Amino acid sequence: MKYVLLAVAAVVTLAAAVLLGPADVPLRDVLGSPIVWQLRLPRAVLAFLVGGALGVSGVALQALVRNPLADPFLLGLSGGAGLGAVVAIAFDLPGPWALPLAAFVGAVSAMALVYRLGLMGGAELDPRILLLGGVAVGAFAAAITTAIVSLAQATELRNAFLWLWGGFSGASWTTVLVILVYAPLPLGVLAAAARPLDLLALGEEPAQYLGADVRRLKRLVYLAASLLTAAAVAVAGVIGFVGLIVPHLCRLVWGRLHRALFPTAFLAGGILLAAADTLARTVVAPRELPVGIVTALLGVPVFAFLLRRWTVS
Amino acid sequence: MGRWAHRTHLAGLLLLAAVPACREAGRAPPPASLAVTDDAGRPVALTAPARRVVSLLPSFTELLFAIGAGDRLVGRTTWCDYPPEAVRVPSVGDGMPPNVEAVAARHPDLVVLYRSGPNIMAAGQLERLGIKTVLLDLNLLEQLGPAARRLGVLTGRRTSADSLARAMDSLASQPPIPSTWSLVFIVWDNPPIVIGAGSYLDRLAALAGARNVFHDIGSPSAQVAIETIAARDPDFVAVLSDSAVPPRYAGRPEWRAVRAVRARRFLFLPGQLFGRPGPRVAEAVREFRRRLDQAP
Repeated sequence: MKYVLLAVAAVVTLAAAVLLGPADVPLRDVLGSPIVWQLRLPRAVLAFLVGGALGVSGVALQALVRNPLADPFLLGLSGGAGLGAVVAIAFDLPGPWALPLAAFVGAVSAMALVYRLGLMGGAELDPRILLLGGVAVGAFAAAITTAIVSLAQATELRNAFLWLWGGFSGASWTTVLVILVYAPLPLGVLAAAARPLDLLALGEEPAQYLGADVRRLKRLVYLAASLLTAAAVAVAGVIGFVGLIVPHLCRLVWGRLHRALFPTAFLAGGILLAAADTLARTVVAPRELPVGIVTALLGVPVFAFLLRRWTVS
Repeated sequence: MGRWAHRTHLAGLLLLAAVPACREAGRAPPPASLAVTDDAGRPVALTAPARRVVSLLPSFTELLFAIGAGDRLVGRTTWCDYPPEAVRVPSVGDGMPPNVEAVAARHPDLVVLYRSGPNIMAAGQLERLGIKTVLLDLNLLEQLGPAARRLGVLTGRRTSADSLARAMDSLASQPPIPSTWSLVFIVWDNPPIVIGAGSYLDRLAALAGARNVFHDIGSPSAQVAIETIAARDPDFVAVLSDSAVPPRYAGRPEWRAVRAVRARRFLFLPGQLFGRPGPRVAEAVREFRRRLDQAP
């Protein structure tokens, strides 16, 4: 029943995202309107896919570092992506895809650095080292970013931060296609790790005794979740709260088994982000709100309500 | 070397801090003719017309030259590139935020700042060093006249400042000519930021005969959806740019939903003339009209 409701909510959200918008498209013209086909539909689908990716990535990382505060961007990815974006603008890299590509490269480099730190001295991706390494690498990247912004002459640099706060203005069928081709691999890796991740929740040693290859599991999950997040950053910037709140929300409703958590977090993340983007486009039309603000405004009260119910029972 | 420069600055600062204390003794009330109220609501009074002025905004630099006070300039920002003589004035940095030490090192008797949060703070620091400051608004066409008048009072160039201010006031009160074209100013593409009614550019376009399709947005600029731009279907996309290279986003698929982008109808407006309100506003309107007429 809960699954049916979730699926219905997903369909309703996507329908609303296509039907509502700042431009006035009469209902009978919806199927033929270029505004719907070229802008609204790809944007709704992209928001849904990115929300889903962030939800799943959040579930995986929270399981990996066994910390409820973990967020897909915690491990230095947002800092790395920001540095990439600022470099693209400051050095005026040519081409329409320069900025997303540079952000992706930045995020992946930060991830690689944190990963390397996490393996140093046989640490084997110790959660504490990963979290500290992530914060340190993120701070370092942010420092270089600020240095470039304050030293470079380009007046557009201020706008790099606007991009970084996230949004779906860059959505097109091309970006949707990029995500559709790219995401299945990390998603598949994570889905295959559902059972061993359940074991990992018991602790690393018990999981090892119960037959999980903990070393390999941690590496695969870390890389898959980070690569998923890096792709989300490249197409939509850094959108907070989805990857933090959706996993907790799903755990409160569906329990702790990853077999159920991954698909529900994907759908719930998609619903939250597609709904937030629809509101961002419509509530203050003709203006638009940054989507990250709306995700927080929508997600936090729902989360607080569930948290209360959870602590009371 | 760097350490030395730093030390001399510091010595200068200490000296400057001592100056107001010495002056305290025989202070006579300043002549009312050299007093104005700035846009932060502060009274600014000088005992003599300013002789060493630092301008921290390209528009102020242009205004000072236009009223014949260009020879009083002893400091400017790196952005101040007009008129050509301005480039010979020593630069005190990019002014965002002002480098108070570099400004003080020019020993100015008046610093002209644009009224903004960081500048208000810098003005306070300069005042504590005994340097007079004036904070002026300059976002809109109708603010040019009042700014020119007050700069005229403070530099003792009243007559020429008044005649310049009258010209700008009359332009500001001119009714816009009927618009033949519509356009959108796109300042940034992701997220799309456009210029609204509360801006100098909106007014400039109206005077040139072009309607800003986001005139209903009251603020100077705002984030909008590409969908909204496509639905409002402007004839042109105006871009503040010194070169005529189409902006990066022109190659992106989602922007092809906007007819003017698809048809590559970009109107390139050099930032030096159009990017800031200044004494050349009449020239900017004429040039705007010419570019509209010649556009494909």
